[in-house]
Amino acid sequence: MPRLLLLLHTRLALRTTAIILLIVTLLGVVFLALAVYLRAESVQREQQSRIQELLTTVERTAQIGCFLGDRHLAQEVTDGLLSNNIVRAARIEAADGTTLASGRTNSGDPDAATVTRDVFSPFEPGTSVCEITVEPDQDYIDELVAQASNFIGGALLLQLVGIGLCVILVVVRFVTRPITGLSHRLSELEAETGQQLQAPKGNRDDEIGQLVISVNAMIDNLVQSLSEERRLRLEREVEERRYRAIFDNVEAGIFELDGGGFIRSANPAFRRLFGMPGETNLERHPVAFASLVNEGDGETQSFVIGDDQGGHDRQWEVALEDGDRKRWVSLILSPLETGRLQGVAHDITERKEAADAAERMAMTDPLTGLGNRRGFDHRLAVMARHHRLYPERCHALITLDFDHFKRINDTYGHQVGDRALNHVGAILADLVRQRDYVARLGGDEFVVLLEGCSERDEIESILTRFLERLRTPLQADDGVEVTVGVSIGIALLGVDADDPQQTVQFSDMAMYAAKRAGRNTWRFYGDASVANAD
Amino acid sequence: MNRVQRLLIASTLSATLVAAVPASADIAVVVNANSGIDHLTRSDAVNIFMGRYRKLPTGNVALPVDSASLKARFYRALVNKDLAEINSYWARLVFSGEASPPQQIASSDDVHQLVLQNMNALSYVDSAHVPDDMHVVLTLGE
Repeated sequence: MPRLLLLLHTRLALRTTAIILLIVTLLGVVFLALAVYLRAESVQREQQSRIQELLTTVERTAQIGCFLGDRHLAQEVTDGLLSNNIVRAARIEAADGTTLASGRTNSGDPDAATVTRDVFSPFEPGTSVCEITVEPDQDYIDELVAQASNFIGGALLLQLVGIGLCVILVVVRFVTRPITGLSHRLSELEAETGQQLQAPKGNRDDEIGQLVISVNAMIDNLVQSLSEERRLRLEREVEERRYRAIFDNVEAGIFELDGGGFIRSANPAFRRLFGMPGETNLERHPVAFASLVNEGDGETQSFVIGDDQGGHDRQWEVALEDGDRKRWVSLILSPLETGRLQGVAHDITERKEAADAAERMAMTDPLTGLGNRRGFDHRLAVMARHHRLYPERCHALITLDFDHFKRINDTYGHQVGDRALNHVGAILADLVRQRDYVARLGGDEFVVLLEGCSERDEIESILTRFLERLRTPLQADDGVEVTVGVSIGIALLGVDADDPQQTVQFSDMAMYAAKRAGRNTWRFYGDASVANAD
Repeated sequence: MNRVQRLLIASTLSATLVAAVPASADIAVVVNANSGIDHLTRSDAVNIFMGRYRKLPTGNVALPVDSASLKARFYRALVNKDLAEINSYWARLVFSGEASPPQQIASSDDVHQLVLQNMNALSYVDSAHVPDDMHVVLTLGE
């Protein structure tokens, strides 16, 4: 049974046949039942009419027999009737109730419907002389019906078998075999070479031909997209090799970040730049980009996490601590897709150092190494900003001017003059704190900016020490000792004035007041004598 | 008499004959005047002549006699059958032997004689020529 089910499941022809046979069988059963029923009816009717015919045949003899009351003749009639298979019993009963003749072939069902015919006198049509009663042989009739049914059933069965065989043959010949052939050819087809499927000879224009055409179209499409795919892959490989070569050999660091700020890939240049070991497997141990950067990583974080740049590139600089030297790296980050960024890192340390050096040079007095006027102006501007933000903090501005510097130049030459300037500058730089600022504005004019220092005592203690050290003579080349005197003016930003320029002016005025007071001394702008001098 | 006159007379005669036959067509069933039978029904006549009854209403054995000259007309009038049918009827009964056909007599005079001599004889004559010594028990219209 399971074998049969498997066969039905795997064989189209068998399945089709089984279904058709099932339908035909069902219809056949219905038709058979109907046919048997109708046949039985008609056999019954036939036998009835046969009996009537038999009766008609014997009627004249029966009429005479009955008319004469002739038992022999009547017996002849009943015997004649009984000689038919269809008649089981026959009886002739005269009009007065006496039985003229009767007979019975076998003992059957006595309740069977009997056929009765009135027999009239042969000479007086209206006068009934007797009655013939015939009992049909129901068994025989049933047998006839059964025979007819068997014949119909047999014919139907034969037809069924014939139809089944024909359906199997037709389905196998016209459906299954072409499909099986196609399937074999399809499995052996080398579609990549552009081979096409051939339709079976007789099926070019039918549904199987259509199927072949569709399959061929599909093969074409597949081959086309396959070759396209191959071409694209090749192109991509070339691109990838090209990119890989650039990636590996370029001087710039190239890297990729994910949404969490972790480095996903990095080229050798990047690893060199950020001091990462070359063998670090970034896939397995992602390194947070922030952990590599000392300065400016906040921006990286915001860029990575915010991810709201709308696809625009961003560029900024970060500082790296490389031993005792600071390295600067310029970063350009561009989003590749959501949660992926590509970055390019350039080492800009040298450029930045050169720029810084140029900047420093521009603001440095070449002779003393202190700040120049430009540096001072810059510092003063910074101070002004600071003062605007914190007006309660006071700062001291000190202006120094050599006494009779021209005489030193003239007497000992410019070289000694320059050495004197250097000497004074060195002492000043030595006395002030790191955050204070000393500059030579030109000639023999110096300024000192004492940040956050407004205590007079403190300032005076510095100046006292300065003048003290200035008393030690400067040794010139040829044993000549030179002593320089300095006049000093002090103004306080935040006390004397709130404007830095005005404070400078006030400290100048205080310096002139010191000169007037006999040189080599100092004066505060806040002193009454200074303010009233002009 | 010329030919024309003879033809005329013949046609007149035949016309008279043709007209006279239906008038004297009835057939009378007759018996011996002394038989004691006054009257028979048609059914009685059928039963006796067709062999069903062998006895007369008087209880005597009936002796039906067929008169050859009138036989066809008689059976036509009695049972509406021709002679072939009547013969075939009797032929069936030859084997069983239960009944026998009436006695056949060719001449009507012989019939007359038989009826006169036999009290139980029963026959038929044309109703137009019934002899006085015969008793009519039934008249069959044609």
